Amino acid sequence: MATDNANADGFGEVSRVRGIVFEYLSFGASVFGLVALGVLLVYVAIDAFDLANASPEWLLTYFLTLVVPFLAFCLYSANDRGVTRRALGALGGGLVAVAALFTAVETLVSPIPRLNWQLAYLFVVGAPATAYLAYVGSGGRVGAVGFGLLGRLVGGVAIGLAVGTLFLVFDPLLWFLAYTLGVLPAVGLYAVGRRRSTPRAQTAAAPVGLAGLIAAVVLRDVVSTYPSDLIIYLWTVAVPVAAAGGLLVAGRRGRTAAAVVAGLPLAVATAGGFLAAGAGLPAPTVLLVLVLTGVPTAAYVSRVVDAGEGLAGLGLPLLLGAGVIAGALIVEAWGVPAPDPWLDGSFLTGAPSRTPTDAGLYPAIVGSVIIIALVAVLSFALGVGTSVFLEEYTPESGPLGTLTRILQVNIANLAAVPSVVYGLLGLGLFANLLGLGIGTAVTAALTLSLLILPITIISAQEAIRSVPDDLRRGSDAMGATRWQTTKNVVLPEAMPGVLTGTILALGRAIGETAPLIMIGAATTVFRAPDSLFSRFSAMPMQIYTWAGFPQADFRYGVVAAGVITLLIILVGMNGTAILLRNRAERGS
Amino acid sequence: MTDSTESPDLSRRGGLTRLKEGTYGGLFAACAAITLLTTAAIFVTLLSDAVVFFRSIPIAEFLAGTNWSPNPAGGGQAFGIVPLLIGTITVTVTAAFISIPVGTLTAIYLSEYATPNARSILKPLLEILAGIPTVVYGYFALVYVTPALKATLFPEMSTFNALAASIMVGIMTIPMVSSISEDAMSAVPDELRQAGYGLGATKFEVSTGIVVPASISGIASSYILAVSRAIGETMIVVVAMGAQARMPEVQQALFGIPFVNPADVLLQSGMTITVAMVQITGGDLTGGTLPYNSMFALGLALFAVTLVMNVISDIIAQRYREEY
Repeated sequence: MATDNANADGFGEVSRVRGIVFEYLSFGASVFGLVALGVLLVYVAIDAFDLANASPEWLLTYFLTLVVPFLAFCLYSANDRGVTRRALGALGGGLVAVAALFTAVETLVSPIPRLNWQLAYLFVVGAPATAYLAYVGSGGRVGAVGFGLLGRLVGGVAIGLAVGTLFLVFDPLLWFLAYTLGVLPAVGLYAVGRRRSTPRAQTAAAPVGLAGLIAAVVLRDVVSTYPSDLIIYLWTVAVPVAAAGGLLVAGRRGRTAAAVVAGLPLAVATAGGFLAAGAGLPAPTVLLVLVLTGVPTAAYVSRVVDAGEGLAGLGLPLLLGAGVIAGALIVEAWGVPAPDPWLDGSFLTGAPSRTPTDAGLYPAIVGSVIIIALVAVLSFALGVGTSVFLEEYTPESGPLGTLTRILQVNIANLAAVPSVVYGLLGLGLFANLLGLGIGTAVTAALTLSLLILPITIISAQEAIRSVPDDLRRGSDAMGATRWQTTKNVVLPEAMPGVLTGTILALGRAIGETAPLIMIGAATTVFRAPDSLFSRFSAMPMQIYTWAGFPQADFRYGVVAAGVITLLIILVGMNGTAILLRNRAERGS
Repeated sequence: MTDSTESPDLSRRGGLTRLKEGTYGGLFAACAAITLLTTAAIFVTLLSDAVVFFRSIPIAEFLAGTNWSPNPAGGGQAFGIVPLLIGTITVTVTAAFISIPVGTLTAIYLSEYATPNARSILKPLLEILAGIPTVVYGYFALVYVTPALKATLFPEMSTFNALAASIMVGIMTIPMVSSISEDAMSAVPDELRQAGYGLGATKFEVSTGIVVPASISGIASSYILAVSRAIGETMIVVVAMGAQARMPEVQQALFGIPFVNPADVLLQSGMTITVAMVQITGGDLTGGTLPYNSMFALGLALFAVTLVMNVISDIIAQRYREEY
């Protein structure tokens, strides 16, 4: 049956070229945006830290004293020969490849502005390799301990600074009275009720607290003598934080450990506070930072020491600190020419200015922190309330079901309304009609809360929906009311998801500019706001203002520093949210 | 066996418990009502001031006017939305030229070609593009993209121009297209793909000939959402596009057919609806003036357009969704 057909099976050859081209094209498309953003971020970082003027010696010094020990730490923690070999190969091979490629492009095509091959190596090979090794290293016991400690140190400092900032606006004296008369008795009553299991004491806690708060407001102007600010912060923040840390530790590891964890940071913080007061520094902030960093750190260290695993990781902060100091010493001793970064201490603590070198972001940072704190409280409360109502309280059918569907559609549409329109709402409703004032922090906070409310609700709903129904039915079967089921079963299970969603939404709020412009937020304020009704500026507002200045030093220096500050805060917030979610996923 | 003497109270008739239940239920309902109130408040706020505006400027003049100068130095206010519409359409269309192809290809790659590992890395990374504050994108466009374009492709470009702004808007809206399209593509059942392979189709043919048509409703609705987002985008255009409400020059060439040179629009500064609103805030904000009211009229137009687009996108996604 031989046919003369060369293609005996009847199938033709299919060209693979088209498919392969398409695959690479689509891969290229998926990384196009990321690469574009990456290049822009590299340039902003170079501008903000003045890396274009960094000498190769300077880069090498810090690479050797800071990056290399860190990489060694990660490799030690990962304890994997394969990873070590690959990492060294990538770092070494990358050095040669980047240098060769960069030189080739510079000579053959055109010089690349404000980049040299050392910087290209740093960003193209160094940064990704470091990030990858940090990720791998954090999987090991030693690395987990090291990063855990580092996270508590950085997080404690950030929260301490944020709380200190909030007291610029909220009256510390009123807080002192409210805490002493309202919060403390209420919490005490509740704790006693819990301990002795007397529900009556627990029920009484809320009214007692409320009465205390009212009394505080009334007494605020009647009482004339108050303790000094430092004593107030010590009594109302430091002591409770230390006590809470101590109680947590005491439950796990006995009284001695608890006394150390609570007492040591408290003593250090108190001493630091009084020393700072003597030295003319903002003593309350120093106290807050020290106590909010110290207590979690001490609790963590005590836990790690008890577990006895990965003790070497506790040295990571010391390693990094020593690296910075050693680098600085070498630079100083050998006179290595150092860059002059725009993003430095004076930028973060200074007021805006017409001259680029004096310009600072401090009032805008304070404004942003205050607004975000208010937005966090408002959108969290409203978001959780709405999502609980939609998920737990309304049936899926019947007239109430229709209402639920209308609410859902409405929320989805609100999420797509442009942010300028929210700004108009804030201007027309809050600022002018309700008289909260044009460009005040309250108006801004209310507007931004409404803006992110749909996102908060949608993510909170997802978190609540993912709670297994078995848990609800189990609670119902034990005779719990709907509110009891919600409070004791659903919300604790859903809380990590709700918090993650809220923090991500807050990240959106902190970068929003258009609504702030619409409600008339100040483009520039020279003093940090001191009340909720004072004119304020925010970080993105200030960036917008500076971006309009024509001087090159503003465009390529001050604004870059502001952008990097904003992005670092955003990354910190989103990182916290992702850590929260991962931890919750691992826990369940 | 426990010998409990008192029988549990199952009637749940306690007044305090009931009060508590009712209070919490009411509180939650109130929270939910706030979302409805927000929509109502947006409508009322925009309408009330817009109505005042339309009493002095007729709607026809507003919609057909070709001159926008709310705060002229020498008098003679004019409130014509056409130049603003041209600016908005320019930015939206140019941005769509980036976000739609790139976003669609990204979605195809993620859903058809990427390994699970690559997908789990790429998807969150792409979301970063939508999470960067828009004022930062605007700064990028003004300070890095415009000089780079000026140095390489378009030497005659002005400092404030529509092109750089549109490119940034496009990049920002990529994840909007890619994530919704990818969801739609992933929802296409595997049987369809396997059937295609059974007929001898290549992966490329399956991806473009089966998966894309099968998920076309989701893809279309993602395009509309991305475009609606681009229409409402404010800070990128405010920072990078400048603030000149211009009518493009119409040229009588090419067999006498009037046309507009794209370079005239793209490489020059322009003004979108959102920019016009932001510009007015530089003046008096206590209300009652004509520019103040015009802001609300523009807001109403913007709100109406984006709302209609979202509703259309919703309808497309619902009605033309293939049920598998």
